[in-house]
Amino acid sequence: MPLGFALLLTAGGVMLGRGGIDAVQLRLLGVRLGQAAVAAAGVQILAGEYGTGLIRATLIVVPRRWSVLVAKAGLLTAGVVPVAVVGVGVAVIGLPLSDALLRAAGESVLHLILVGLLGLGVAAAVRSSAAAMGIVLGLLYLAPMLLWMLPDPDWGRFLYRLTPATAVQALTTTVDDAGLPLGPWAALGVVAAWTVGALGMGAVLFQRRNA
Amino acid sequence: MATIEVNGLRKRYGAAVALDGMTFTVRPGHVTGFVGPNGAGKSTTLRTIIGLDRPDAGTAIIGGRRYAELAHPMRHCGALLDPHALHPARSGRNHLLWLAASQGLPARRADEVLGLTGLADAGRRAAGGYSLGMRQRLGVAAALLGDPPVLLLDEPFNGLDPAGIVWMRGLLRDLAAEGRSVLVSSHLMSELQDMAGHVVVAGHGRVIADAGVDDLIGEYASLEAAYLELTAGVGGIR
Repeated sequence: MPLGFALLLTAGGVMLGRGGIDAVQLRLLGVRLGQAAVAAAGVQILAGEYGTGLIRATLIVVPRRWSVLVAKAGLLTAGVVPVAVVGVGVAVIGLPLSDALLRAAGESVLHLILVGLLGLGVAAAVRSSAAAMGIVLGLLYLAPMLLWMLPDPDWGRFLYRLTPATAVQALTTTVDDAGLPLGPWAALGVVAAWTVGALGMGAVLFQRRNA
Repeated sequence: MATIEVNGLRKRYGAAVALDGMTFTVRPGHVTGFVGPNGAGKSTTLRTIIGLDRPDAGTAIIGGRRYAELAHPMRHCGALLDPHALHPARSGRNHLLWLAASQGLPARRADEVLGLTGLADAGRRAAGGYSLGMRQRLGVAAALLGDPPVLLLDEPFNGLDPAGIVWMRGLLRDLAAEGRSVLVSSHLMSELQDMAGHVVVAGHGRVIADAGVDDLIGEYASLEAAYLELTAGVGGIR
């Protein structure tokens, strides 16, 4: 269900036409909306079971908790990949093919996969849909705004580069990227680091805690 | 046949001690009652045996192995711990079909246990609409799915109507008579007196008494009198 929204929101970028300085970035604005729905899918695939109590049945059936998490991650990725590929593909349809376009589109797909897994990792750590969504949405949208309020602008600028929100801006930009806080591949690295961190913490807590 | 060996389980939640060296063995062939005041650690012990709770120390072994080491755990140990652990939109039958598939069991096992638990008709309805008694029956159906030699049931009489209680009593006694190890936690001493061959009395996260029902009745006149005498002064909720 959230993945349906993700497809619509991501593909919706195609409506934004080809005007502006960076047509690719404009078209890929949908990724910034679609990532929320992908994150919701990642959260819901695990936290939804805590909401209904089904998780206890699941863990009785599959007591090896690593297997549960790996299976959920695999299922989630299998769902996100076609959504991301089709969504991003539709969004950039008709634009002149270039290396920069392919790079931005490919990174957008990878970004969406990573954000889904980020949602799964956070859900494993906090075990509640509402709390996990709050954390993920805060990270994706609120964090960059809050960082500009830091009293020390140098620190603010430094931390700003480390948020996934900055990353999605950087990795969809194809024109005039000199003024960006970090390069496109470094940006994907930032998102990957958040995902690995969240999944790692989630896995350890999921493994050790009571169901 | 398989036994349940609980050995020195310890568990604390912050300052509260839930399990304080819980140790007992459940043997096949008769129902073992697991009794004690609220907060004595019965549910935590059962949850620890099947790996839902992580103990701070100690082990729980089913037929020689930890639950989490079993490839198809429901074929070794059936558990009814939380009758609400199901997907509310899924029908009872689909719930069982999902469980059966996960354990490499044929789909017909789902229909067999539905018949055995009196849910043949209700099995097609969404489980979210089931009464507590029906959820208990579905939980028993799930526990029996893999035809396991070990059964754990937490308060299985809750929510059952009088006919259901009689049915449950007979079922558990028959399952034990077939040579299974059956551990039943309950507050209903009169039910256990008729059904159980052995009783483990818990308090403060430890075993207070571990004895045959006939021995306790011989000493205290009834299981209820024995329970009240043994747990006198054992405050449950701390």
